[in-house]
Amino acid sequence: MAGGLSPAATPGAELGVRNARRGQRAAWLLLGPPSLVLTLLFMVPIALMLVTSVTDPRLSLAHYQRIFTVPLYTHVMLNTFVTSLIVTALCLVLGYPVAYVMTRRTDWVSTLLLTIVAMSFWTGFLVRTYAWLVVLGSKGPVIAAYHALGLGGSPPKLLFTSFASTLGMTHILLPYMILALFAVMKKIEPDHLKAAASLGARPRAAFREVFLPLSLPGVVNGSLLVFVICLGFFVTPILLGTPRDMMISQLINQQIEELLAWGFASAVAVVLLVATGIILAVYNRFAGLDRLWG
Amino acid sequence: MRRRTFLKGVAATAAVGGPLIVTGRTIAQTRTIYVNTWGGSWTAAEEAAFFKPFTEQTGIRVRTVAPVSYAKLKAQVQSGSYEWDITAVTQADLLRAEREGLVEPIDWTIVKKEKLFPNAVYANGLAYCALGTNLAYRKDKFPQGGPKTWADFWDMKKFPGNRSMYNNAVRAAQFALVADGVPPDKVFPMDVDRAFKKLDQIKPHIKVWWTQGNQSQQLLRDGEVDMMVMWNARASELAQQGHPVEVVWHGAAITTTMWGIAKGAPNRKAAWEFLQFAVQAKPQADFANRLYYGPTNPEAFKFISPEVARQLPTYSENAKVAIRPDTVWEADHTARIQERFTQWLAA
Repeated sequence: MAGGLSPAATPGAELGVRNARRGQRAAWLLLGPPSLVLTLLFMVPIALMLVTSVTDPRLSLAHYQRIFTVPLYTHVMLNTFVTSLIVTALCLVLGYPVAYVMTRRTDWVSTLLLTIVAMSFWTGFLVRTYAWLVVLGSKGPVIAAYHALGLGGSPPKLLFTSFASTLGMTHILLPYMILALFAVMKKIEPDHLKAAASLGARPRAAFREVFLPLSLPGVVNGSLLVFVICLGFFVTPILLGTPRDMMISQLINQQIEELLAWGFASAVAVVLLVATGIILAVYNRFAGLDRLWG
Repeated sequence: MRRRTFLKGVAATAAVGGPLIVTGRTIAQTRTIYVNTWGGSWTAAEEAAFFKPFTEQTGIRVRTVAPVSYAKLKAQVQSGSYEWDITAVTQADLLRAEREGLVEPIDWTIVKKEKLFPNAVYANGLAYCALGTNLAYRKDKFPQGGPKTWADFWDMKKFPGNRSMYNNAVRAAQFALVADGVPPDKVFPMDVDRAFKKLDQIKPHIKVWWTQGNQSQQLLRDGEVDMMVMWNARASELAQQGHPVEVVWHGAAITTTMWGIAKGAPNRKAAWEFLQFAVQAKPQADFANRLYYGPTNPEAFKFISPEVARQLPTYSENAKVAIRPDTVWEADHTARIQERFTQWLAA
């Protein structure tokens, strides 16, 4: 792909080079607009954010120093990543069996499950968050069931706990995981499993040796999707959780909206971006990001 | 009636649609001003009290953009593209914005000094309404009589029950100092260490630190908590809906919400005309009659019935026992206290 610098030995080869060149040009033409859009709407703002973080209100690294010396910011940063990991793990454990059944069954069960997942996906996350306020509330069905069963004593504190916050986020992000898994699992040929069975594999072995490895791209895809969305969550933990569950985007929002401290907010955002980048790089090193695309 | 005006407000908001960039050309033809507002019942009350009468009087149309965004004030001025001309912010926020050069200076060729009431002008904005941040409680949970002071709010033995507070550092510190026995006129400038020491006592008993007005209403309405810090009109609204809610004025914080115009806003001339209109007694009274935030123009009380007046922050009996924060002190210290408070909450 050196741009056709080598002299063409035969007319046929020359034609080949010309075709290749034309193909390359077409590729660049096709790549042009999206690259331009990405540069203008994505790269430039991120660069501006980087600049703001060291220039607003004056040229210094003071914002970064503050992030790493005031315990609040390291605490919130750490909490954001730990929460995102927990939510991702929960979504995977809960979502995998659902996606599996959706794939393996071809009858109404599959349709029903898909409908439920899609409806949940399309319901606004604010609505679902407020629904949890009712479900877990002191007059909600969970507490009512507790009393009805006569368990005695004061009912457990459900709402405004880390538990409620994690539950709410898992519920909201579960459809993303299921749909990502489903998209990949659907492409796995059922014949592969039959072939495994014909070679003597019991169902469990066939699943472990054939289906599971083939579904891994979906696991990776779904996990990354859920993890990254979770990093940016903030309304659900505010409404359902405790102040200890504060996520980083809540902090950024507070700095921007209430304090007009854009320099500091930019610095926090840059740290979040770099930390996420490091995680992706480590991940890429051991698993390969190309798996994302199946 | 309330419902209809509310729907009208929604329709008006919907008509404006999503983010809309106002260019110099579009406004020259239509004479429209764009107001940044809170949405919901707030915008509905504005629609009836300010926007409609103003349009009838001047022919200038008013469009709204919700919700209020303090950050957008800065973004608009920095980028030079304007989504709205006028916004409503607290006095301390307006002061900080003015210091950063984000606010248009008052156009005294349009605003008439002799038509303004005392203290109408602050930091190049005009006083919009007074907002109370009060102690509110459920009467049904305290048949022997509810809490009357912040000291009662802190008293878990005499007044057991779930509590909620507003997730706002300066307000929380203010109430803590009052509960600790600091005389009202000595609360500002604040002894911040003392405030946090007092807040330590109440922290384990605060079930929720709320951030949004809707959320605060839901907590008291559903009985999740028995007493809480709440904006006065939000509490009054619950009482109007038939919930057994009582509002305490003793030690409440009264802050002034200000109208301000974004520096360089394209429709600033018409915007000043609107603000001149909006601070007059009649429109202010019309607003307060719909939403129980107090008029800043004392003349407005002429148009307000005694039953409604008693529930407003600027009603003399209420204002007498409440505390007005020191705006300059607050503007200078908010960032510091907020950081400490957030850290304290997360610990």
